Amino acid sequence: MWQVTRKGLAGHKLRFLLTALAVVLGVSFIAGTLVLTATIQKTFDDLFADINRGTDAAVRSASVIKGNFGNDQRANVPGSLVAVVEKTPSVEAAVGNIQPYAQAIDNHGKAIGGNGPPTFGLGWDPNPKLNQFHLVSGHAPAINNQIVVDKGTADKGGFHVGEAVTILTTKTPQKYQLAGIAKFGTVDSLAGASIILFTPAQAQVVADVHNEFSQISVVAKPGVSQTQVAQDIQHTLLTDDPGHASQYQVITGKALTKENQDAVHNALGFISTALLVFAFVALIVGMFIIYNTFSIVVAQRMREMALLRAIGASKRQVLASVIGESVVVGILASAVGVVAGVGLSIGLKAVMNAVGFQIPGSGVVLRPNAIVIGLLVGTIVTIVSAVVPARQAARVPPIAAMRALALERPINRFRRLGIGGLILALGILSLFFGLFGSSGISLVGIGALLMLVGVFVVSPLFARQLARIIGRPLTALRGVVGNLARENAARNPRRTATTGAAVMIAVSLVGFITIFASSANASIGSAIDQQLKTDYIVTLKGGGGPGGGGISPVLAQRIAALPEIEASSAIRLGSAEVNGSQTFLAAADTAQISRLYDFGGVSGSVSDVGLNAIAVSSRKADSKHLKIGDLLPTRFVQTGTVPLRVAFIYKNNTLAGDYIISLATFEKNFAAQRQLDAQIFAKLKPGVSVAKGRAAIAPLVAPYPNAELQDNAQYKADQKKQVNQVLVLVYVLLFLAVIIAFIGIVNTMTLSIYERTKEIGLLRAVGSSRRQVRSMVRWEAVIIALFGTLLGIAMAVFFGWAVVDSLHDQGFTKFSAAPGSLIFIVVVTGIATLLWASLPARRAARLDVLRAIDQD
Amino acid sequence: MTTTIPPTKTVAARAVAASKIYGTGDTIVRALDSINVEFPRAEYTAIMGPSGSGKSTLLHCLAGLDSLTDGHVYLGDIDLSTLSDKEVTRVRRDRVGFVFQTFNLIPTLTALENITLPLALAGRKPDKDWLDRIVSTVGLRDRLEHRPSELSGGQQQRVAVARALVTRPEIIFADEPTGNLDSRASAEILGFMQRAVQEFGQTIVMVTHDPISASYSNRVVFLADGRIVDEVLDPTADAVLGKMRNLGGE
Repeated sequence: MWQVTRKGLAGHKLRFLLTALAVVLGVSFIAGTLVLTATIQKTFDDLFADINRGTDAAVRSASVIKGNFGNDQRANVPGSLVAVVEKTPSVEAAVGNIQPYAQAIDNHGKAIGGNGPPTFGLGWDPNPKLNQFHLVSGHAPAINNQIVVDKGTADKGGFHVGEAVTILTTKTPQKYQLAGIAKFGTVDSLAGASIILFTPAQAQVVADVHNEFSQISVVAKPGVSQTQVAQDIQHTLLTDDPGHASQYQVITGKALTKENQDAVHNALGFISTALLVFAFVALIVGMFIIYNTFSIVVAQRMREMALLRAIGASKRQVLASVIGESVVVGILASAVGVVAGVGLSIGLKAVMNAVGFQIPGSGVVLRPNAIVIGLLVGTIVTIVSAVVPARQAARVPPIAAMRALALERPINRFRRLGIGGLILALGILSLFFGLFGSSGISLVGIGALLMLVGVFVVSPLFARQLARIIGRPLTALRGVVGNLARENAARNPRRTATTGAAVMIAVSLVGFITIFASSANASIGSAIDQQLKTDYIVTLKGGGGPGGGGISPVLAQRIAALPEIEASSAIRLGSAEVNGSQTFLAAADTAQISRLYDFGGVSGSVSDVGLNAIAVSSRKADSKHLKIGDLLPTRFVQTGTVPLRVAFIYKNNTLAGDYIISLATFEKNFAAQRQLDAQIFAKLKPGVSVAKGRAAIAPLVAPYPNAELQDNAQYKADQKKQVNQVLVLVYVLLFLAVIIAFIGIVNTMTLSIYERTKEIGLLRAVGSSRRQVRSMVRWEAVIIALFGTLLGIAMAVFFGWAVVDSLHDQGFTKFSAAPGSLIFIVVVTGIATLLWASLPARRAARLDVLRAIDQD
Repeated sequence: MTTTIPPTKTVAARAVAASKIYGTGDTIVRALDSINVEFPRAEYTAIMGPSGSGKSTLLHCLAGLDSLTDGHVYLGDIDLSTLSDKEVTRVRRDRVGFVFQTFNLIPTLTALENITLPLALAGRKPDKDWLDRIVSTVGLRDRLEHRPSELSGGQQQRVAVARALVTRPEIIFADEPTGNLDSRASAEILGFMQRAVQEFGQTIVMVTHDPISASYSNRVVFLADGRIVDEVLDPTADAVLGKMRNLGGE
């Protein structure tokens, strides 16, 4: 029987090649993701091991609020602690450092970085064992107006040692002399982060603190182990001040390295999970293609299977021969996919370098897991997809060998409707539990997948009718050729449904994300139009990123002092724990904000939100049963748990978020280096024209190139742009699934043409031109593609509606189906199919008429 | 030998020194060996011969489905051997009708749509009266909206004959049109073709190996080894059978 398998494969090379392509693409995505993340992880593991080599222990605050991607927020420790740590006999040296916001401006007046990797400052560590930087030119900052920057920043800014560089901080922008350029460990830049190194004293000034540190790094005396020195320091802290020792945490250098590495792990885990989800989607689409190919090939070989059975092959043997084919295709395609994945990861690395996330080092890290997972997933997916067709092949009665016609099993309408309906219902249930319950995102994904499978199972029941409806205009437009295309698309409902299902999945995701983005834009847009009463908003370019950048509070003060301004407020953002869960707080000038923003107040007044008070959105107030006057325990890293009095409850949370405090409360509870503005709202006095207003504000903003002055319309456009950037990214990731779906169309058409050779020959014999044959094939492909597209769009609208509705409380107030974009998707799919289908169309048109009609 | 042409009739199709050679050297096969043959208008000609005699090849070449190695085939005044594939397709569509042994109909089209297919491909409207007459002749009026799978083999072949007639082609080529039918259905089909010649002045060339089928024609041409070896005018089944025996054929 192995010979049958081999011959089966050899006899249908092109078909299996196209099937294999679907597997290759999906597997390469998986392998590429694994190789890329392994490469990045290895790079950072080495980097952190290298830069923390001299650090034997670190002392820092025990007060922490965990953030994503290792962005933990910790309280500062007092500078006096350095002397205490140094008292430990086994400590050779202890140096405190602080990490304030700092951002360099290049020679063209543009701020460097800020739209991804963080930008920050550090004190230049005088102890060479602790200093993570190596000077490549110039010298260390000797006096307070000298700095060193990392080589990556120097290259980006075109800086040379000796020249003056303007640095943005929490204060007014200031010029420094560039004393030197340094590498971070062995690399030019820490993954694209921009780092400014000040003198330790100047770092304190820039952070706006007095003798406070983020962390104290320790070098142990020779011969003392890391664990030993950490224990010794802990002991010193306890004897020095038993009451406060628990506020501090002592960790070994190894633990610190591990923490740094884990933070990268964490961030990479998020990225690789996201990428693998898209790879998974691509493979699911691929499964439909594999299933379809095997189904059609098996149907075409029914007589061959029946003959095998007639001459004595058992059911098992027939089953095994088809499964065998899938094993061979799966292994070969997966192997090619793994190799392609390595290539893909090299390409992705280059892309990441190009957009600013620099991954140092050349080459990639190929771990066995990338190979094993790639091979296993690809092969299993192929085999699983071939199981149903293989069982169909095994079920052929031997007598079928004597019958002339290929056996197309009739569709069992009741069974299909029952099973499909059940899966669909389970999917809807799971989706809604996921969305409106507390069970989370994976249930939503499973629900969506089940719904798609349910529709796929049911769809052969209406494929014929729907294909005819879709093709109706063709009969009018293209006459008999259109009619033939339409009837061909309708003649194998199962085939049309399966090919269409792959398209449906791809389109439903593209459509869903389009609707989601469109709804986000509509919600934000309407909130800006209806709730913002500002004339101008100063925003942070690039959104600040995770590095904690922001606009110096000096700018907001200057704007407030302008005679043209009626009201203004800085907006600051920070994270805190409310009722034990980490959340974001916004701070505003609560005396002014009511003239700048319409909160849709429910009770209380925003001007009552003074020191130690808080405003809460009605959704949070409802879920936590809060009313005016209640105390809400809120934990800040710097000051610990503070009971904040609820003074205002409001409805509009699309822009404002769920918690608002006053700037005074923010200043009191957040460290000095975190006092940075995210936005500045400004409203002009009556009678001041917008042009005059801009003329007054713009010169104040100009020295801060990290900030941008926008009127409401520009602000709206900017917000939209940010949403659309994410949208484009998701489109790119979904592109693979779309490509695989399109491969499926060509595959089906190729198989159908093979099956209809005689028919095409007859058409040519009675006078159809090659052009007409091409046209017929192409339009059939278009009908099948549109069948899938329309189902996909219907699913997308449903998913979009359900998700947006579930997020209504979180600010998604508007559902926008984006009809323009959806129509665009339909048109693009149609045109793309028309072009793409010219491959099988040309094959059909080239068929030799005589051989086609002579063939038996 | 050359064939007899009644002097009063014009020619619908002819082959002049037509050769078709497959392979080279030792494996050379002369499917058609310098054949000269003419098919007069409004005549029903049968081509007979043993298997491998070249009868199907001759039909295919005359119909523009296959090309000659050497020589010429004319359809009316048109020399098919000088035409491009596109032009030959046009000629087939507008001037030639076909009836094959099996698989004559497009399964997705109804009987009526199959009949009018060549016209539809040309973008022309059927002549209503003519269509009506053909449909009555082949007796399919109550089957027009049926798909081929809902028709018997005989009915399917009747649809094929109707399709061949619908464009009023200069010539109809039929390749074993009754090969798959029982004797009753065969007689029906052959009867329709005979009527088409008698009543509509249609020209038909039919390849067959069945003497009874051949007896419906006006003239039988015999092929052997790619050459025309004999012919019988106004044949009877017995006369044809006799000739066939002489040829040592089937």
